[in-house]
Amino acid sequence: MDVALSPNGRRLMRVFFALVILFLYAPIAILLVFSFNKSVVPSFPLSGFTLRWYREFIHNGGMRSALEASAIVAALSSVVAVTLGVLASVALARRGFLGKSLVTALLLSPLVIPFVVLGIAMLLLFHVLGVSPSLLTVGAGHIVISLPYTILVLLPRLEQLDASLAEAAYDLGAGPLRTFRWVTFPLILPAIVSAFLIAFTTSFDEYAVASFLVGTRETFPIFLYGALRFPSQLPQVIAVAVVILCVSLVVIIGAEVWRRRAEARIEAA
Amino acid sequence: MPPARRRRRLRRGLATPALLGLPVSWLVLFFVVPIAIVGAYSVDVYVLFPGPHHFTFTPWRTFFSQGDYFPLFVKSIEMSLSVSAVVVALAYPLAYFLALSGTRRKYVLLLILVVPFLTSYLLRVLAWKVILGSQGVVNTFLFSTGLRAEGHPLSFLLYSRFAVMLVLAYVWLPFVALPIFVTLESIDRRLLEAASDLYASRLQAFLRITLPLSLPGVVAAFLFVFIPTVGEFVTPSLVGGTSGYMYGNQIVDLFQTGFPDWETGAVLSLFLLAVILALTLVFVRFLRAGEARTA
Repeated sequence: MDVALSPNGRRLMRVFFALVILFLYAPIAILLVFSFNKSVVPSFPLSGFTLRWYREFIHNGGMRSALEASAIVAALSSVVAVTLGVLASVALARRGFLGKSLVTALLLSPLVIPFVVLGIAMLLLFHVLGVSPSLLTVGAGHIVISLPYTILVLLPRLEQLDASLAEAAYDLGAGPLRTFRWVTFPLILPAIVSAFLIAFTTSFDEYAVASFLVGTRETFPIFLYGALRFPSQLPQVIAVAVVILCVSLVVIIGAEVWRRRAEARIEAA
Repeated sequence: MPPARRRRRLRRGLATPALLGLPVSWLVLFFVVPIAIVGAYSVDVYVLFPGPHHFTFTPWRTFFSQGDYFPLFVKSIEMSLSVSAVVVALAYPLAYFLALSGTRRKYVLLLILVVPFLTSYLLRVLAWKVILGSQGVVNTFLFSTGLRAEGHPLSFLLYSRFAVMLVLAYVWLPFVALPIFVTLESIDRRLLEAASDLYASRLQAFLRITLPLSLPGVVAAFLFVFIPTVGEFVTPSLVGGTSGYMYGNQIVDLFQTGFPDWETGAVLSLFLLAVILALTLVFVRFLRAGEARTA
């Protein structure tokens, strides 16, 4: 006898699972359908097939510049966040040092701060410092948000590592940097890629904190939020939404598959 | 290897302070100091406009005495508690199915479940705006099938408390299954087998073994939804209208509208932060106590 589920229970749960998946993907599917719909207002009945909205968004300068800005902010902030995350995780993976639990709490605390509070607090900081808002201030905020996530991804991986590998490198005369470059880094590379992707997508999509810190150059979420107020822009927004959702689905699934394979290869070696 | 030599070896890596210096200073500068500035604002020690100012609790008194703020906080707590409860209740059976039904490809199914969470938040909210509007997908579908007379849309769908809660639940549901799945996965199956050998029914085994052991995951899942939703302002501003207005929107308005009141806004922010911090500490205590019991 299966102790966790009766045959009927299993059937019921399978149906429930399928319904939830339907609920989760239906809105995305609806966007996909309406991105090809002729009418400006996304409503039934469907009024015919068109690629006009995709063409329009490709030629929409404001949208392209916003996408570009977001890509820059996301790339910069995720590189910095992952670098800081690696430094912190290498330290935290060591056995106890003075103040370890306090440092850990500090490094993870941005996970629980409401974004509205973080946004306002950083806005006040930049006021005090006299720094005018720009893509750089947005990036600084995004690093604060992503840093704990990178640690959550990297730290377990580092803790799994066999310490004798690094010790062997030291015994062979390698310094700390060479040991990291040739021993530790290759072993945690899959986790670094995961951390980078998480930080990148978090930043690319982040609206709440950016809304307080953004200057005249808009990031994509800020642009999107503004565009939602103009019904005439809605079809284009839907088209770009479909493109972004599809790209992110492919990237996430691809990265996950790659990480599994890479880690399996490292385990096997 | 003698312990002294081993310790010397480990110390050959970079020194801990050198490693922690950058990440810690980044968070001190861009996280701790900003919150301290918010604190200074909330007691008028530091204000934007020059002039004499002294330490005062006036903004705090305004917060508790002026009719609107505290009830709004309670309303947001209510909304976010109900969303978290519903979402956890829905996610539990999903995680249970994946972790314990012995289904092959459970990681593939888990990935399918979680992926929507990893795609754009704003775009998923946008999808619901398109679906729920009075000229939206649901209503025009009802018109065109004749289920509802044209010109009489279901107006509660968008710009309402309902819309905010539906969208928040939609956004967080996939994520919440994760912590529950992880705790359920780590349960030793032999405990369940032992229960069944001792003639416990499935329900008894669930209530006395699985459920208590998965409680940390459930509580974590609950907080993972509650903490971000209670201070939420993006979803309510997009689909909430006036009846879906939340505490987070009030904070934003105190900072960004025509009549800004940064001192009161700072008080509202700190109060929210304090409540969440207290909840987190209670949760960490609860986890530690659980660990101590099982150890």
